[in-house]
Amino acid sequence: MSDVLEEESSAKQEEEERLQRELLFATHIVRAIDVSKTYYLGAEPVHALRGINFSVRRGEYVAIMGPSGSGKTTLFNMIGGLDKPETGRVFIDEVDIAALDSIELAWLRCHKIGYIFQTFNLLRVATALDNVMMPMLFAGMQHSDAQDKAVALLERVGLGKRILHKPVEMSGGQQQRVAIARALANSPSILLADEPTGNLDATTGLQIIELMKELNESEGVTVICATHDHKMLDLSDRIAWIRDGRVERFKKRSEITITEGRADARE
Amino acid sequence: MLVTCGIVLALAFLTYVLYSDALLRYAVERGSPALREVLRESGMLSIAESADSRIQTRWMVGLALLISFVGILNAMVMSVTERFREIGTMKCLGALDSLIIKLYLIESMFQGLGGTLIGILFGLALGLFEGLGIYGSETFGLVPLLVLIKIVTTCLLAGVLLSVGGALYPAWVAARMQPVDAMRQEV
Repeated sequence: MSDVLEEESSAKQEEEERLQRELLFATHIVRAIDVSKTYYLGAEPVHALRGINFSVRRGEYVAIMGPSGSGKTTLFNMIGGLDKPETGRVFIDEVDIAALDSIELAWLRCHKIGYIFQTFNLLRVATALDNVMMPMLFAGMQHSDAQDKAVALLERVGLGKRILHKPVEMSGGQQQRVAIARALANSPSILLADEPTGNLDATTGLQIIELMKELNESEGVTVICATHDHKMLDLSDRIAWIRDGRVERFKKRSEITITEGRADARE
Repeated sequence: MLVTCGIVLALAFLTYVLYSDALLRYAVERGSPALREVLRESGMLSIAESADSRIQTRWMVGLALLISFVGILNAMVMSVTERFREIGTMKCLGALDSLIIKLYLIESMFQGLGGTLIGILFGLALGLFEGLGIYGSETFGLVPLLVLIKIVTTCLLAGVLLSVGGALYPAWVAARMQPVDAMRQEV
C-alpha cells in the first residue's frame, strides 16, 4: 500500500520537475548550470569557471562585468557555442551544447547567435554588403535573398548609403554598425557582444549602445554584453558581476546605483 | 602574391627545360642538313644523343617541381597564420570546416592557374629566344604543334596539382582550428 503511494508521489514529483523544466525552457534562453572549466597553462591548472550558475531570460538585456581573468570570456565562449563545459550543462535556446558535434555547433552559431566583437572583425577585403551577406550564405540562403536582406539590415543600422564601402573606408562606429548588421543577418535569438564599445570614443559608443538597446526592444533579441562601460550598464535590465569563476552578484538595474565610472550594488 | 611568383618561376623553368629539350630533339631529327652540320660542329649533336643528357633533364625537372612545391607550402602556411583572426571570425559566424577547406583550395587553385599560365609563357619565350640563337629561323617549325600542346598541358597540370597539393595541409590546419584559439591570436 505504502509502496503504491510512494510510487505515485515519485511519479508526481517527476511530472512536476518536467513541468518546471519546460517552464524554464520557455522563459530562459540561456541557462548555465554548475559549469566549470579548467585550462592548463603547461602543467599549471587554471580554473576559469568554478561551478557557475547563470541564466538569461528571453528578450532580456544583460550586462556582464568582471575583471580580466575572472572567467568572463570563458563564460562568454560557452554561451556563444565556442567552447564546451567540463562539468555542468549549458542550455542555449533549449539545446544542451555539450551534446552537439562540431557541425551542429556551427549551425547553432550561424542561426541562433550573433556576435559583436570589440575589434569589429570585419573582412577587410570585402564591402559592408558582402560582410553582412556572409553569414546568410553560410546558412545556405539564396544570393539574391541574402543581398536584399543585407541591404535592409544596413539601412536599419543607418548605413544605407555606405553599403559598398570597405571597412578601411569607414570609421570605427560605422564598422561596428556593419558588425551589428552582420550579427543580425540570420535573425538570431541572442546577440553576444564582447566589449562592443571598447574601441570607440564616448559619443560613438553611446550611439552603438542605443542602437543595440533599440534592437533589443523592437526585435526582441536577447542581448548579452560584456562591458565596463557605465552607459551600457545603465540601459541593461540586469547586471552580473563575475569574479574567480563564479557569479558574485546578479542584480536588477533598479537595485543598483551607477555613478560615473563605478557600478556597485547597494548593500 | 609571393606564392604566385614562386609558381611562375618554377613553371617557367619547367616549361623552358621541356621545350628546349624538345627543340634539340627535333632539330637533330628533322633539321635541315645545314642545321645538322652546325649542331655537329658545336658538339650539341653528341650531347643530344647521349643518355646522360636525358637523365640530367629529368633531374632538372624534378628539382624544379620540388622547389615550387616547398615554396607553395610555405606561402600557404604563411597565409593561414596571417588570417587566423579572419578564420576565427568566419567560424564564429557559423562557417563549417569543409567551407574553410574549400575556400583555401579554390584560392590556391586560382593562384596556381594564374601563376602556371604566366610561367608557361615565360618558359616558352625563354626557350624560343634561346632557340633562335642556335637554330635560327628554323626554330618555329621544328617542334610539331601536338608536342607543344603536350608540353603546355603537362606544365599546366603540374602547376595546378602542385598548388592544390601544397594548400591541402594548411587548409586542414585552418579548418581544424578552434574559433576561440583563432580569435585569441594577436596578429
